[in-house]
Amino acid sequence: MSDARRSQALAALAALDRRAFLKLAGIAAAAGLLPTGCSDAAPALAPPPDLPLRFLTPRTYAVFTAAAARIVGPAGADLIAAGRLVPGAQAEAFLASAPTLAPTLRQALLVLEFGVPPLLAKVQPFTALPGAAQDAILRELMNSRFASKRLLFGGVRSLALLACYGTAVGYETIDYPPAKPRAGADIETAHRYASDA
Amino acid sequence: MTAPLAPPLRADAVVVGSGAGGAAAAACLAEAGFEVLVLEAGPRFSASDFLPDEALMTARLGRTSTTTSGAQSLYAGACVGGSTVVNDALCWRTPPEVLAHWRREYALSDLGDTAFAGFVERAWRDVHAEPTLRSHLNRNAHRLELGSRRLGWAGEAMPRNVRGCARLGRCNWGCPVSAKQSALVSYLPRAESAGARILPDTQVTRVRIEAGAVAGVEARRLAPGTREPLAALRIDAPLVLLAAGVLETPALLLRSGIQRDGAVGSGLQLHSSAAVTARFAEPVHGYFGPTMAFAVTQFSDVHGHAGPGFMLENTAVHPLVTAAGLPGFGPEHARVMEALPYLARAVVVLRDATRGRVETDDEGRARYAYALEAGDVERLRHALHELARAYLAADALEVWLPVHGLAPIRSESDLSALAAVKLDPTRIAFLYAVHLFGGAAMGGARAGSVCRPDGAVWDVRGLYVGDASALPSNTGVNPQITIFANALRIASALAERGPVS
Repeated sequence: MSDARRSQALAALAALDRRAFLKLAGIAAAAGLLPTGCSDAAPALAPPPDLPLRFLTPRTYAVFTAAAARIVGPAGADLIAAGRLVPGAQAEAFLASAPTLAPTLRQALLVLEFGVPPLLAKVQPFTALPGAAQDAILRELMNSRFASKRLLFGGVRSLALLACYGTAVGYETIDYPPAKPRAGADIETAHRYASDA
Repeated sequence: MTAPLAPPLRADAVVVGSGAGGAAAAACLAEAGFEVLVLEAGPRFSASDFLPDEALMTARLGRTSTTTSGAQSLYAGACVGGSTVVNDALCWRTPPEVLAHWRREYALSDLGDTAFAGFVERAWRDVHAEPTLRSHLNRNAHRLELGSRRLGWAGEAMPRNVRGCARLGRCNWGCPVSAKQSALVSYLPRAESAGARILPDTQVTRVRIEAGAVAGVEARRLAPGTREPLAALRIDAPLVLLAAGVLETPALLLRSGIQRDGAVGSGLQLHSSAAVTARFAEPVHGYFGPTMAFAVTQFSDVHGHAGPGFMLENTAVHPLVTAAGLPGFGPEHARVMEALPYLARAVVVLRDATRGRVETDDEGRARYAYALEAGDVERLRHALHELARAYLAADALEVWLPVHGLAPIRSESDLSALAAVKLDPTRIAFLYAVHLFGGAAMGGARAGSVCRPDGAVWDVRGLYVGDASALPSNTGVNPQITIFANALRIASALAERGPVS
């Protein structure tokens, strides 16, 4: 992510509330729900060798990548799997321009990864879950009666959508004529509706 | 573009901010013979810098903040020209009902219909507001128009401040053909022609006040790109007009030690917005054409309605904003995105009753305490309901409300799900505001207001507020004309008196 994505990334994190996350993570840690150390995540979710991590740990990088792949849908997930769409790199770049948010995002991703009942309805790390189970966790967050969990979902979702639909590579998953012109999809067509007028 | 600096600089008038308020005031003062220095925290761009890249331009031209709860985004222009560079060019005259409210509730007798109308008409001419031609209503606008007409609702094409609009669909990313008559191509060139200097990348940190009178400002130059502070500078001026926008003007007053018994920062008000998306059988191509053009006024605060109400306005269908405004995630979300050419979108522009507060943290950075109150949440629910009805009436196949967990709406009976959901800002996909008001409001009574009716900050000679933070409430309509007009009113009175020696 270029520095120009900074404000957009900030917009993407609109739903992230630092205090709410820290409170949530603090409760989780106090309850022994978060580990103090992190083992490696799946190799497929590891950052590319040429991407040094400054703000995310390998684990939180993997969590965000895994969540983004579920959020953006199958076509976007394929691009992520192929290494063409790199949401974790965008998160890194965002944190470089807003370093004070790094603890918040890391805590949020750790809650997503290691949260267990009663925090989240799973016993395995998020990255170890099959896709359908990951979807269930994201859905649990989205529909939670707790605002902090909904905020966690909203923040991660927004950043993932930015990673996909804010990039030229992500446009490959949709039909967007301004980026890829085609016949019959132009300014004149967009203003023609004589039959309705 | 930057003039050589030899601190301390001196000017007859320093204008802080170059958006609607600052630009209009700067032109007015400069043309009256004032030596004017405009300080803008953001960078300066020209038409050739405005690229067809949604994420890039959104980031480069604007500033996104959030309310302290994190539930709502606030977006404003952050470049020379301010929000006029990134807005949709929509022009509404200040509703008489709003002016009457201000006179009645805030003792702003100066803002009589006739007196204020003169400045509104001046702004209208200056920025070339004109009716939107039928040929400029794209299919996206027409879908909303068709639905509202079939429901018997009032609605109209909104005037826009454009000259030779090329219908590119890029109003929010800076107009690359300078058709939009933003401050960047209207008031600021006039100001410069009259001798005003504009310093971009210059952030004012504090207003200097000595013996009850303004003495100038302290500022710092920012490195283009990184925004790292480069150098501090001091500007001496007997007149300072603040127009840094609602996101910054109240915070700047607080940083300068002006609190006015808690009045500074209070009264923050928004037009909260959220989008509804609809899929049609025929392509809409809502990414081409004016980004916004048609408004349903049936529920709004114009044409005699007292409100508070809401406006429904079509809006562009670019990927990032569309994705953000759709609920949910995964395959269903992606399925809708794959149908992008067939989607139409419109936003609710809610005239909030909620009042919030601009505060500063320990380091003087602004924070925005704003919690949408229950009554507003219910009116937002009503607005979303009506907008969905309009799209169904226009033969939409599916309608998505921006509420996580709600299934697409295919008939009016499906809308019962909206009534049943426990609505909360954190359940809404992309709740935001681009129309911000208050925090340094004018008032005829000293108690509870920050500025006098003429825009002067109470008890500080030479310090004025000329942007939307001086407005005592939201307007219910897109506010740029009101902001231009109020700035012209304030600056015209100053111009009549001439520079302070």
